[in-house]
Amino acid sequence: MSTMSRRRFVATSTAGLAGILAPRIPPAVGQQREISYLCWNNFAPLMDKKLAEIGTRFTKDTGIKLKIDHIAHAQQPAKYAAEVQTQSGHDLVEMRMHFPWLYEPQLVDVSDLVAQLEKQYGAAISSAKETAHVRGVWRAVPQYHGMFVATYREDLFKKASLKIPDTWEDLYVAGKELKKMGHPVGIPISQNYDTISTAGPILWSFGGLEVDKDGKTVRINSPATEQMLEWYKKMFKDAMDPEVLSWTDASNNESIQQGKSGWIHNPVSAYLIAKQKKLPTADLINHHRTPGGPAGRHDTDVPRHIGIWKFSKNVEPAKEFIKYILGKREVYDEYIMSADAFNLPTYDKLKEHPVLKTDPKYAALSGEGVQYHAYGWPAPPSDKVQLITNSFILPNMVAKAVTGTPTKESVAWAEREMKKILAG
Amino acid sequence: MAISTFPVTAHARLPWRARVREMLDRERILGPLFTSPAMILIVLLVAYPFCMALYFSLSNAFIGRPSHFVGLRNFINLWDSDAFQQTFQNAFVFTGFAIAFKIVLGISLALLLNQQLWFKRMIRGMVLLPWVIPTALSVLGWQWMFNSSYSVVNWTGIALGIMDPPGPNWLGQKYYAMTAVVAVNVWRGLPFFAITILAGLVSIPKELYEAAEADGAGPWARFWYVTLPLLKGVLAIVVLFSTIFTFSDFNIVYQLTHGGPINSTHLFATLSRQIGLESGRLGEGAAISLYLFPVLMFVVYAQLKYVRKQAY
Repeated sequence: MSTMSRRRFVATSTAGLAGILAPRIPPAVGQQREISYLCWNNFAPLMDKKLAEIGTRFTKDTGIKLKIDHIAHAQQPAKYAAEVQTQSGHDLVEMRMHFPWLYEPQLVDVSDLVAQLEKQYGAAISSAKETAHVRGVWRAVPQYHGMFVATYREDLFKKASLKIPDTWEDLYVAGKELKKMGHPVGIPISQNYDTISTAGPILWSFGGLEVDKDGKTVRINSPATEQMLEWYKKMFKDAMDPEVLSWTDASNNESIQQGKSGWIHNPVSAYLIAKQKKLPTADLINHHRTPGGPAGRHDTDVPRHIGIWKFSKNVEPAKEFIKYILGKREVYDEYIMSADAFNLPTYDKLKEHPVLKTDPKYAALSGEGVQYHAYGWPAPPSDKVQLITNSFILPNMVAKAVTGTPTKESVAWAEREMKKILAG
Repeated sequence: MAISTFPVTAHARLPWRARVREMLDRERILGPLFTSPAMILIVLLVAYPFCMALYFSLSNAFIGRPSHFVGLRNFINLWDSDAFQQTFQNAFVFTGFAIAFKIVLGISLALLLNQQLWFKRMIRGMVLLPWVIPTALSVLGWQWMFNSSYSVVNWTGIALGIMDPPGPNWLGQKYYAMTAVVAVNVWRGLPFFAITILAGLVSIPKELYEAAEADGAGPWARFWYVTLPLLKGVLAIVVLFSTIFTFSDFNIVYQLTHGGPINSTHLFATLSRQIGLESGRLGEGAAISLYLFPVLMFVVYAQLKYVRKQAY
């Protein structure tokens, strides 16, 4: 039996170790590529299940291992901040609304992927472009959006022979009757994002805006804003209950599901949950497109994208996954179908998606004649506009007005606060 | 010279185990050795994040972008914000009322628990429940109790005839909302006060009460002249800790009101999250959370000084 001297053993093992370390890639990674995706806890949980299924197939088809983690949407900002500050974490991240603007310098340019998808499915919808196309570069790939729509109790409208509201003024007329029937209109006026999702479109449809499209000039102090506040005041007094001042994002859903509210403005989730839980109200709820006003019919939605961190060492495999889930029509369809119309595709040619045919109550979701915008529109979603949104200035202006602060004073307060943020 | 070199030579001859044992016998080596794990933890988990926060507060740090030193600009600019001014006021109102209620109710509860009660141990255990249950879970319960449509508080009040239907909108009107968040904070913090004060009560010698009783002191006089002076040290510590915890409270407000209505319940921690994390402005967020640091430092210094004076 041959023996090895200690000196030779040390020399051989050192040379071997150096050989392994030289490429600076761990051996296991060298053998199999692996990427990770941090995704939100989808409000349509079946979509998360489908994502896992698609992920498994992706690994089988491409040999790229995919690890999917989920996180509550409220925890996303803290988690993303930590990943960016430490320059470590996941390769792919789900990004809602303005996130691509917020994390712009940290995100890979994915314009090539979006160009390919737009070629296949048509242009990305306006709100998706406003939020993910940052200074001429796509920083995230639009994947789907949850949209706001008018949700109403069809039985009550029929019983009182009420007209389906086409404008916000029509809603006031119907709302007064609904309140008399014990089923007030449920529009939140509190520090939450659903409040902004309704107050924004109302402001726009009256012709008002918060900040000009230059992103620098505050435009909230206008006759249109005053008209919008006067509308809110009469709605609050004659068609709503004061409880809306303390509502959370879930309260309007609960209110119509439990049979109290006669009309709410919300994504289709109120109906979906009622249907899933077999609530008696499920059969009574229907949808119509969001009312308009003198300056058109506007709405907010929540466009959601996929981004790739620049610190990722697996940019190409990460792009492979995006191509797989969004670029393969059959996979994308399957993914969208799993959400039961809660999340819809963000590309023009897919607006009339087959999922809308699965239930007659989804007809209004095609959003015919509705312009979708991100919060703060028409200002580009900069970090300052984002701060205006996150500071809940719009909801608080409305809350002040409906609880007794004179209209002009409420508007002046909002103007002051917005100017301070833009000047800062 | 020969004498001075002797121990060194002897030491060199000692086997290594004996040398280690000898070194461990020296307090100068053993002390730092024992405290080093704690020191490492403090440096990693307290000192480093604190220094980072301090740096952020003096910079224009924004998530993922290069930052520059801006001095005290963040602290000065914050005063222009209506939301920050409101938050500053809220923090003092919230802490002041919560601490006052916790002192009064904590002493009362501790006195009650100090009596000979049936199921004394079980009751003492149950009193700790609000402190033990995860805050997020218990606040969810309170959220239902204060629900604008189905509030059990209002339902009870209306049933007892002390509220007019539909009852207060607890989380939708600013004074009610502040009352609600203070009430939940008192509910949660009360066990800490009661149990700590109870420990103080138990340590008061019975002879002092017997002597006071022999001198004709009634229950009130016994409390005022015996119990309270001997509880001062414990009370000072409890108030110190609770002041810090209450000023920096986050969960209750974040979950119950999200800082609303119209910023009327925002505290430093909730506003700091809104600005620093949700909007990416780490510099301003850090400045908000550090705003009260000098004040709290002074409170800590004054109270610890007082406690030391009481002890020696």
